[in-house]
Amino acid sequence: MRPFELVVPRSLAEASSMAGKGVVYKAAGIDLLDRLKERVEAPEKIVNLLGFRAELARIERSGSTVRIGALATLTQVAEAEVLRGGGFGALLESAGEAATPQVRNRATVGGNLLQQNRCWYFRQAAFGCAHNGRGPGCLAQEGQNRYHAILGQDDCMRVHPSNVAPALQALGASVIVQGGKGERTLPLAELYPKAPDARGAEHTLQPDEILTAIVVPVPGADVRSAYRESREKLSFDWATTAAAVRLAVADGKVRECAIVLGAVAAIPWVAAEAAQSLIGKEPSRANFEAAAKLAFAGARPLAQNAYKVPVGQATLADALEAAARR
Amino acid sequence: MNPRREEHEITVGFAGNAKKIKVKVDDRDLRPWDLETKFQTVGTDQARADGVAKVTGRARYAYDINLPGLLHGLIVRAPIAKGTLKALDLEAAKAMPGVKAVLATKQPGARIRFAGDDVAAIAAETLDAARDAAEKVRMEFTAEPHVTDVLEAPGAPKLDQDGEVTAPWPERGAERIETAIQAARHVRSATYRCEVQTHSSLETHGLTARWYGDRLTVWASTQATFGTRAGLAGTLRIPAENITVHTEFMGGGFGSKFQPGIEGVLACRLAKAADAPVKLMLSRHEEHTCAGNRPGAIIQIRAGVNDDGKITAFDYRCWGEPGFTGQGGGTRAPSDYFRDTARRDTQDNVATDMDAGRAMRAPGWPQGFFATELMLDELAAAIGMDPLEFRLKNDRNEVRLAEWRQGAEAFRWAERRNKTPGQPRAGGDPRWLHGCGLSSAAWGGMGGPGARVTCRIHADARVEVRNGAQDLGTGLKTVLQMLAAEELGIPVAMVTPFVGDTRDPVGPASGGSVTTPTMAPAVRHAAALARRELAARVAAKLGVDAAKVACAGGQVTVEGGQTLSFVDACKLLGSDTVEVVGERFPNHQGYANSVAGCQFAEVRVDRHTGLVQVLDMLAVQDCGTVVARKQAESQTLGAMIQGVSYALHEQRIVDHLTGRMVNGDFLYYKLTGPLDMPAMRAILFPVANGHTNVGAAGIGEPVAVAPAAAIANAVFNAIGVPVRHLPLTPDKILKALARARRV
Repeated sequence: MRPFELVVPRSLAEASSMAGKGVVYKAAGIDLLDRLKERVEAPEKIVNLLGFRAELARIERSGSTVRIGALATLTQVAEAEVLRGGGFGALLESAGEAATPQVRNRATVGGNLLQQNRCWYFRQAAFGCAHNGRGPGCLAQEGQNRYHAILGQDDCMRVHPSNVAPALQALGASVIVQGGKGERTLPLAELYPKAPDARGAEHTLQPDEILTAIVVPVPGADVRSAYRESREKLSFDWATTAAAVRLAVADGKVRECAIVLGAVAAIPWVAAEAAQSLIGKEPSRANFEAAAKLAFAGARPLAQNAYKVPVGQATLADALEAAARR
Repeated sequence: MNPRREEHEITVGFAGNAKKIKVKVDDRDLRPWDLETKFQTVGTDQARADGVAKVTGRARYAYDINLPGLLHGLIVRAPIAKGTLKALDLEAAKAMPGVKAVLATKQPGARIRFAGDDVAAIAAETLDAARDAAEKVRMEFTAEPHVTDVLEAPGAPKLDQDGEVTAPWPERGAERIETAIQAARHVRSATYRCEVQTHSSLETHGLTARWYGDRLTVWASTQATFGTRAGLAGTLRIPAENITVHTEFMGGGFGSKFQPGIEGVLACRLAKAADAPVKLMLSRHEEHTCAGNRPGAIIQIRAGVNDDGKITAFDYRCWGEPGFTGQGGGTRAPSDYFRDTARRDTQDNVATDMDAGRAMRAPGWPQGFFATELMLDELAAAIGMDPLEFRLKNDRNEVRLAEWRQGAEAFRWAERRNKTPGQPRAGGDPRWLHGCGLSSAAWGGMGGPGARVTCRIHADARVEVRNGAQDLGTGLKTVLQMLAAEELGIPVAMVTPFVGDTRDPVGPASGGSVTTPTMAPAVRHAAALARRELAARVAAKLGVDAAKVACAGGQVTVEGGQTLSFVDACKLLGSDTVEVVGERFPNHQGYANSVAGCQFAEVRVDRHTGLVQVLDMLAVQDCGTVVARKQAESQTLGAMIQGVSYALHEQRIVDHLTGRMVNGDFLYYKLTGPLDMPAMRAILFPVANGHTNVGAAGIGEPVAVAPAAAIANAVFNAIGVPVRHLPLTPDKILKALARARRV
């Protein structure tokens, strides 16, 4: 990596005021360190946010919401007492299965939401593409694409890498960000571009904005959620597909449902139609599989990732079944 | 001069199949250990001699060597996969801050053979300064069209949509095999494929070099200290005696580290040019792309079998994928099934513009065994015979025939095998398909002469054994320690082993599973000489006839007189340390010149997602005399783990537009992890082969031959259709399941 200035701000306001060209905010730095070592990123200044751990790593319930500090580690989330119960299942599972125990003990939930994608073209200095700004198009389109997008892709085949984003989004979470103009709250879905493209950023934060907390509504008593992901191996692998679902069943019928898919599109992918199709139906495997088919109906696989369609369908059906059984 | 030989009658073979043979042994050597030998230390569980140093981080690897004024080296590499270096300008790089030496490794006009071929080398005060300078190297190339997809390469066979080779069988040697194929009752033909696997040594290639005038010391990550010394002497044109190579510890080689390599030579050259020590270790991406690999292979087999299960014809041809050299991609089918079968073996290489293949743990064997053993299961299925019965019918290796039986019983083969392939277990989760598979294992690995070991006994009764070869990580130090303790009749803790310093006596390169079988007889011989010398010294001190004093079993006994403990006897040495050098005499004809093994695997396959999980594995393996049991078992389990990884996960993925590997890391180059590991058992099958005074045989490679084959057969048993292309990733499993549904 190239030399940089490491800054430890005294307050969030000070941190926010440091924004500018060549300035990068860092939480645990797990994703950033890889990019620095590969030299695809060479910031002049790194603002270390970890010093705010005392304030920003708490997980607390207040009223009908749980507030998760952005610097809480994935392990903290996975083990949080206030998140016990079937309603938060998707969040616990997504945080508890990410990467390895070592990574989970260090990685923050905020960092997990804002990490950059792991496309092997995008992240290598040797390759230039439209998204990394060093080339004209997308190299995965005609190149090696077994781990790339099958849904919603247009001019960039990257997939969203976060485990916890689909789960939090399925649970209807919002995020709180602090910038020079103060604090604002936005639905998690709006943290990501609505129509992601090659030239655009992977998130919607302004340069001076810092993600400080995630607010998750406490699910109703009859709400259950679950997260499942497919991998090629069980230890330390990126999901090939992932599904987070929220489900409420009343009188033997699905009353409420949300489905958000991971690792299949450039953003956490909301399968609204599939979720809607289950309303009023019995929570049976057959109905779940039908919904899963619908969720992937618009899939446009590339040369090497057609397997993601059946695998993604099975993973989603599994998540729905797991939620229904809670 | 022919050595004088003494004849010994020894008992060889294995329990239930013991035979007495006469061996002629150099009369300076010892009577070989055999089936009747009662051991005190050999064959027991002992903690690894350097285990504490390794787990506490005190062990210093080449990577850990930090010297005052150390510079960091790197290699500037070509981004194109094929062409010519047109221009090279190093001036801007030389002018960068912290840069101490810049060398061209190629001159304009030189060929570029693969993406990553070396062009220049830089040493600087920090690795980052060297990387900054590398970005200032101006290189121009005349690029030529390259081919990195083996299927697109000249000479590659055409495959149809099912992956089957379409080309006719060759003419050469056709007559006999065609006749046998025509005569066979059942004939099957199929094409198998293996992707390129990289060695993925945790410690990358490289070394730290320091010059003292015209003398050179290097700390190398190598599996051949003496080969590295010879390689450096030849390339740098300095006398070998001026070079010392240290490899006290090393972090994996698997066949890729026999030479100093371009990285090692450049470290020395940079150190000379900069007049300062230089460390040059490859990056992970370089390790994957510029330091060798296990070649991929396309293997076509047709075989004929009779109703009774006898294989009558076996026609094997392979197109290996060894990279730019176009050589060394050969694969090896098992031979014990085909000793009286009409057989043909055709080997071709397909060159691609990629890094050259290198030896990797049983080079060519895992590919050939995967293809052959899966074909055998397909044949067995075609005639409705159990795969184990099919092996027992055709295997002509008497050791393995015993191992098959022992393994099948220990694994409960008959009970666990899926009787209805493709169908879930009765009463079980219908989603998961279970299956069991097996494979033979084989290798040579008997070692050879030439090695020597120094043994010293000090007055404090500490015993030192020294050899300059390296411990590849297999446990050589422990082997040396245990054998010296056995021969001297003293506790293991009194012996300190030293390896990996070329100032000590010569030893082998760790390749071909020869290190233990080569070193073991030499250390035993050294300890025996030391024992005799100690007795002679005691006799002199006590003023008795040397013939009346003997040292054995940890005691020194004077005939008709006193008995001294080993410790008390050593006290008499004072400052006159015993120092002897033991020799490794040539192998004599013993019981067997190869080792045999077999493995069993159970898998479950998620029919929805295509995920394969290996649940259980068993290896039954012969490695001659088991010296250090724990380390031998650990080697066995390690090879099985690497085999699971090869079977399920590992593959080099190349961007064919640029010729660059896209997964040259450990994120997408997938190595199996703890959660993917099966329950594993290693049964070491005791064989006395009597070919040396110890009779040890190598175990590093034979075990690596079988896992992928056993796992692929287990998947076949689970899902009912063979998946003939490694690794067995979910996409391939789902495709096979879909095809099975269509059929």
